[in-house]
Amino acid sequence: MSDTQSSAGRTIRTDLLARVEGEGAMYIELDGTEVRDVKLRIYEPPRFFEAMLRGRAYTEAADITSRICGICPIAYQMSAVRAIEDACGVTIDSGPIRDLRRLIYWGEWIESHSLHVYLLHAPDFLGYPGFVEMARDHPQLAEQGLQIKKAGNAIMTLVGGREIHPVNLRVGGFYRAPSRLELGTLVDPLERAREIALATASWTATLDFPDISHDPELVALSDPDGYAVDRGCIVSDRGLKISPAEFDAHVLEEHVEHSNALHARIRERGSYLTGPLARYNLASEQMRPLAREAAAGAGLGPTCRNPFQSIVVRAVELVQACDDALAIISSYEPPERPALEVAPRRAVGHGATEAPRGLLYHRYEINEQGTILDARIVPPTSQNQLVIEEQLRAVVQRNVDLSDEQLRQRCEQAIRNHDPCISCATHFLDLTVERI
Amino acid sequence: MSPAVVLIGVGNELRHDDAAGLEVVRRLRSSGGLGARLEATSGDGVELLDLWQEAWAVVLVDAVRSGARAGTIHRFDASVTPLSASLGRTSSHALGVADAIELARELGRLPRRVIVYGIEGARFQAGSGLTKRVASALEPLARMVRAEVLLLAAESVAEDSAAPSSASSKAPRPPRP
Repeated sequence: MSDTQSSAGRTIRTDLLARVEGEGAMYIELDGTEVRDVKLRIYEPPRFFEAMLRGRAYTEAADITSRICGICPIAYQMSAVRAIEDACGVTIDSGPIRDLRRLIYWGEWIESHSLHVYLLHAPDFLGYPGFVEMARDHPQLAEQGLQIKKAGNAIMTLVGGREIHPVNLRVGGFYRAPSRLELGTLVDPLERAREIALATASWTATLDFPDISHDPELVALSDPDGYAVDRGCIVSDRGLKISPAEFDAHVLEEHVEHSNALHARIRERGSYLTGPLARYNLASEQMRPLAREAAAGAGLGPTCRNPFQSIVVRAVELVQACDDALAIISSYEPPERPALEVAPRRAVGHGATEAPRGLLYHRYEINEQGTILDARIVPPTSQNQLVIEEQLRAVVQRNVDLSDEQLRQRCEQAIRNHDPCISCATHFLDLTVERI
Repeated sequence: MSPAVVLIGVGNELRHDDAAGLEVVRRLRSSGGLGARLEATSGDGVELLDLWQEAWAVVLVDAVRSGARAGTIHRFDASVTPLSASLGRTSSHALGVADAIELARELGRLPRRVIVYGIEGARFQAGSGLTKRVASALEPLARMVRAEVLLLAAESVAEDSAAPSSASSKAPRPPRP
């Protein structure tokens, strides 16, 4: 961290942002009370996953891409298998295989959201520099976070084969499908997690939120069956309605000098936001009744435009995830075979699913032998990066009177509103505020 | 009864030298006879709390980045005091090893003894294979870790026979100010 101040203005820089996934930095330049420049820098070295995929078998994409992120491997696996299945002309839109896919995806949401709500974001609202200091005064909060996360881990271990980088998913389904009895062991921890999630939603409503409303275009998947997670068409609040196959035609990715992540924008309009706020605004009425009750109890209307309230939305999504996971388990009958046969053919396939942080798009071109000729991966954080910068600019402009330290804290909180996964976005984060 | 000592290798196989901790545990697993539970993890902090739950002592082996020469072996006793912040973070996760230790300390969930071995890494980018200096430091590191684990196991037995119940061997929660 280093800040400079001259008679004319100031810079604030944070060279390593805490409590975000991966490594990144923030740079803010102020000229008196005028915000000159705001940059979110992602500097984890580019990982070249897209290049690594070329020449590999179509069956390997899920396992290779799941290594991009330790927090959301299921999202990568799911978008990958969807895209490969799409290329091969296979669709799995119902039945026990899809139910198991949704179940394990909810497991990942539970793990990711509980970590973010309790350990990464809550300290901002309660005024602690980090979760260790918060846990000293609020041990029950930290314990709740750990307990709810364990329910997610239990799903990942049982359905995915292990907690981190699960190995049981494959093109066409699973290597092994669990029995009803096995899934039954998840009921107790999930019921307890659902109780904690309900209490969490009520608790988040008691927090103080800076009064900031921001109106970016919101983009999420829409699934006629319910609150989208593993499939759907891509919709926005400005009339976008496209299939995943049309993503390339509508979304442009650009390299910018200050970041290793590509910046995504909608061709016709510009920046857009994916993730909890977008999902909630576009599909809150599709949530399960218990989640809708939790939202109403937490004071959320059908829409929510304050990015700082994303912590409330995540808590409500935790209720959604636990409740839907329990519903899947109660009606589950194992599939006859754990996976469908998926034969390769020369084609291009597209897959889009809702990672905990937002929309994750994959595209693969494969040949008759199933060799991957080309791959494209657009993670949520690179889609959100422009909007995060716009919101930072608004937050700085409203808070120019704060000291550098207070301003830095508020800006970091604004970044954490979007739970950016820098590891994913690199194709890595540090904060600089410059007052000149 | 589960062993009183747990040895945890921390790292990521796909980030070059970050795999060193995992490799040490792999070697000690194959040599056997430690009388400890051996675990390997990618370093998710929350998982660490679960892995050392019920243990009297934990030994962690992880790659570190402090600016020392690659292959340098560091030993820290974090039983009472936090790990040095100067070690730097090599995990891309929000909760690393040092965070997990401090969170556990606040929650009264830290084993009585916490020893961390760090091996200085040079390459942490995506890719597999250890750099030469790290690879050649693995054998001495494995010997040190083995000796540490055996010593802790013996200490736990001595403490257990001296104490009236196993519960008293758990770290007491520090009083709140």
